[in-house]
Amino acid sequence: MSTETTLPIYDLLTEIYDQQSAVPEYRQKAFNSFRSQGFPTIKNEEWKYTNVQPFLKEQYTAAVTEATVTTEDIKPFLIKGLDAHLIVLVNGKLNKSLSTFQSDVLISIEPLTEVPGYAADSISFTNNAFAALNTALTTSGLFIEVKANATINKPLHIIHYYTSDDNVFVQPRHMVCVHKNAKLDIIESVARDESKGIVWVNSVTQAYVEENAQFSQYVLQNGAANTRLVNFTEAVQHKYSLYNNFTFTFPGTELVRNTLHTRLAESATETHLYGLYIGADNQLIDNHTLVDHRKPNCLSNELYKGVLAGHAKAVFNGKVYVHQEAQKTNAFQQNNNLQLSDKASINSKPQLEIFADDVKCSHGSTVGQFNPDALFYLRSRGIEEATARALLIGAFAFDVVEKVTIPALREHIETLLNNNMENWYA
Amino acid sequence: MKSSNDILDDLAAKDYEFGFVTEIDMDILPPGLNEEVIRFISKKKNEPEWLLEWRMKAFRAFEKMSMPTWQNFEMPEMDFQKISYYAAPKSKKQYNSLDEVDPELLATFEKLGIPLSEQKVLAGVAVDVVFDSVSIATTYKEKLKELGIIFCSFGEAVREHPELVRKYLGTVVPHSDNIFAALNAAVFSDGSFVYIPKGVRCPMELSTYFRINAENTGQFERTLIIADEGAYVSYLEGCTAPQRDENQLHAAVVELLTLDNAEIKYSTVQNWYPGDKDGNGGIYNFVTKRGSCKGVNSKISWTQVETGSAITWKYPSVLLIGDNSVGEFYSVAVTKNKQIADTGTKMHHIGANTKSRIISKGISAGHGNNSYRGLVQVGPKAEKARNFTQCDSLLIGDQCGAHTFPYIESKNNTAIIEHEATTSKIGEDQIFYLNQRGIDTEKAVALIVNGYAREVLNQLPMEFAVEAQKLLSITLEGSVG
Repeated sequence: MSTETTLPIYDLLTEIYDQQSAVPEYRQKAFNSFRSQGFPTIKNEEWKYTNVQPFLKEQYTAAVTEATVTTEDIKPFLIKGLDAHLIVLVNGKLNKSLSTFQSDVLISIEPLTEVPGYAADSISFTNNAFAALNTALTTSGLFIEVKANATINKPLHIIHYYTSDDNVFVQPRHMVCVHKNAKLDIIESVARDESKGIVWVNSVTQAYVEENAQFSQYVLQNGAANTRLVNFTEAVQHKYSLYNNFTFTFPGTELVRNTLHTRLAESATETHLYGLYIGADNQLIDNHTLVDHRKPNCLSNELYKGVLAGHAKAVFNGKVYVHQEAQKTNAFQQNNNLQLSDKASINSKPQLEIFADDVKCSHGSTVGQFNPDALFYLRSRGIEEATARALLIGAFAFDVVEKVTIPALREHIETLLNNNMENWYA
Repeated sequence: MKSSNDILDDLAAKDYEFGFVTEIDMDILPPGLNEEVIRFISKKKNEPEWLLEWRMKAFRAFEKMSMPTWQNFEMPEMDFQKISYYAAPKSKKQYNSLDEVDPELLATFEKLGIPLSEQKVLAGVAVDVVFDSVSIATTYKEKLKELGIIFCSFGEAVREHPELVRKYLGTVVPHSDNIFAALNAAVFSDGSFVYIPKGVRCPMELSTYFRINAENTGQFERTLIIADEGAYVSYLEGCTAPQRDENQLHAAVVELLTLDNAEIKYSTVQNWYPGDKDGNGGIYNFVTKRGSCKGVNSKISWTQVETGSAITWKYPSVLLIGDNSVGEFYSVAVTKNKQIADTGTKMHHIGANTKSRIISKGISAGHGNNSYRGLVQVGPKAEKARNFTQCDSLLIGDQCGAHTFPYIESKNNTAIIEHEATTSKIGEDQIFYLNQRGIDTEKAVALIVNGYAREVLNQLPMEFAVEAQKLLSITLEGSVG
């Protein structure tokens, strides 16, 4: 671990940890796990294509500055026409005055100050140094609990607002519990103001979807270049539950690593994971997913699509694990990539590990370019090249975008897509 | 006039007049691995200085390496110091007649339809089939010689054609490629060497089977095949019949090299001892196979049918360096009982317009575990590279596992890469349909499996394909129920 110890950030985090007094056991365990692993290197199979080391070189400060953020600052990040309850977190901390929605009888939304022990225990820290680090050092986050039988009719729009003139390492921790028969939609977006500092966000989200509950999570990532996002999300599903995850990544943030685990802890669940990543410039977008089929009769469906321009690098690793007990599993996975520039690169690894025989599992992965015939068809009908390309990208992305059931959000995503039209040329 | 079979029978029945001892070289090194051992092997084989140096280099690299940890199985403890690195010829137990051979083995031969003479060689009966082999080998050798084809043992090649061996040895699989390749490079006993000169199309399928020393190519075999410009060769390795063998670890290296417009087709049927029902014993088949399409328009095609060995761990790969070169990989891997197969391929697209095709069919039964691990890599200069990959898994029984680990790395925006994989079991309706027509379940499964593996079996040379089909059915016997 010689390289890690020389990183200033490593020293800083160790220092922060050592300053804590009366550290609960789970945090000790987590920090020890982090200490023994260090920051991942490309020698680590889970980080083979994502080298975080160059992103850790800078000097960071310990304290996250308290910033005054006004409604005006938030305004540009609202989604046009979206009818939602607004919740704002500033540098990982729940800001009640900016949020338009507070707890009520159906739902409680509170800052998460201490991670419940069982939640910390359920995450495996093996090959998961960032989650271990987060568990050991997190100080802020969001706790959302939907009461049993409650249907939250409007989606929650959670804006993660980051601002800092210094380089900071932020480690928010969120928990979402959707109790029996309840239903919740959340939209999370990352907002970065024009402040100069690098914001490293190492966040962990845990979701519990109880029996017959439904939870849809939309994640929008289009922050500024000086933001680095490393997310770990784990959703645990109980009987008859439904979990949908949508991850949209757009040009901007220079490093995005999403690790999404879904644990199908009980039978007859349904899971849909959709991803759309549009990479440009020097972006590195890494999506790692795991669908862990532990019980029989579950359905999982995964579709990730990517468009890569500029010097962007994309990594997709989709793992489907079917335990021996999980008979009658249906698991599907698909990853398609459009590689538009000769400087862009794609690393795709769809992975199946199956221990049950009565299953239907498949995966597919493709890398390709614009279909010249399709382009020619459109051009020959008098559509100019830029529009033709935009049309084709729109069609490519449509498979994912059409799955968004909130109209305003869908329009917003289409707008974001169109804003990137200049990237469609190699 | 006695047929050759009769002669062989007579010979088999007769006591071997001259005794067997003379056949067995008494130089058996005690277990252990150090520089002395390598010097000894090299000296024994009268090798030139450069080859000894190369072995030494490999040994030094080997010493620095540690066991890989990325494989998808429990790596058995391996003590390289406990292996004897020179025991040539291998102390194979010799039988005096077929009556002494394990009846189960004979029953398998019967089902495979292997002629009596061949059965004896395979079972290790001390028939002087060698004579037979010699004659076959010599007739073929004459013919090959006329065309300028070199097909001989590695040792012979080092003596007769040192310039060729020196030029190409280790160019595809370097001495420090991986721990097993390094070990092989340091201590390889013998192997095969093939050189097809410019513009020659090898008129017959070459097979180690026809070579006299085929019997002795043991644990650390090394194969080097070079197809010069415009040449073509089809090479068969192994045999469909179960091989008796006492060695635990097999770490062979195969290097293929094609120059401009050349083509090599390499077929393997591997059916080594898989261990018993509880997974005791059996061969660890850790082989490094790689081909290099160095020339333009060249082609390398790997076909493998893997049914034996306790653990099969190999990835026949192709380096597509020359423009327009083509790499192919067709594989059927069957695991049953406690067998493990971690196999697949790597296609490195380096030159422009390179194409690769991967068809992998895994079949797991019993407690078997089958992994496909593949890499398709497109470099920045591989304009218009094209890959198609299909890896399907079939599960028979609920205790087995099927895994896929495909890696796709694209650095070129003109590349088109497709990968698809499915996992399923044999449909009850399919079995029912066949049952209904009076075909019992076991035969029905064999039929379905053969249909499933057809795409790969079709790639095998004719005689091989027929046997491989039977082999598949036999391997899966008793796994349905």
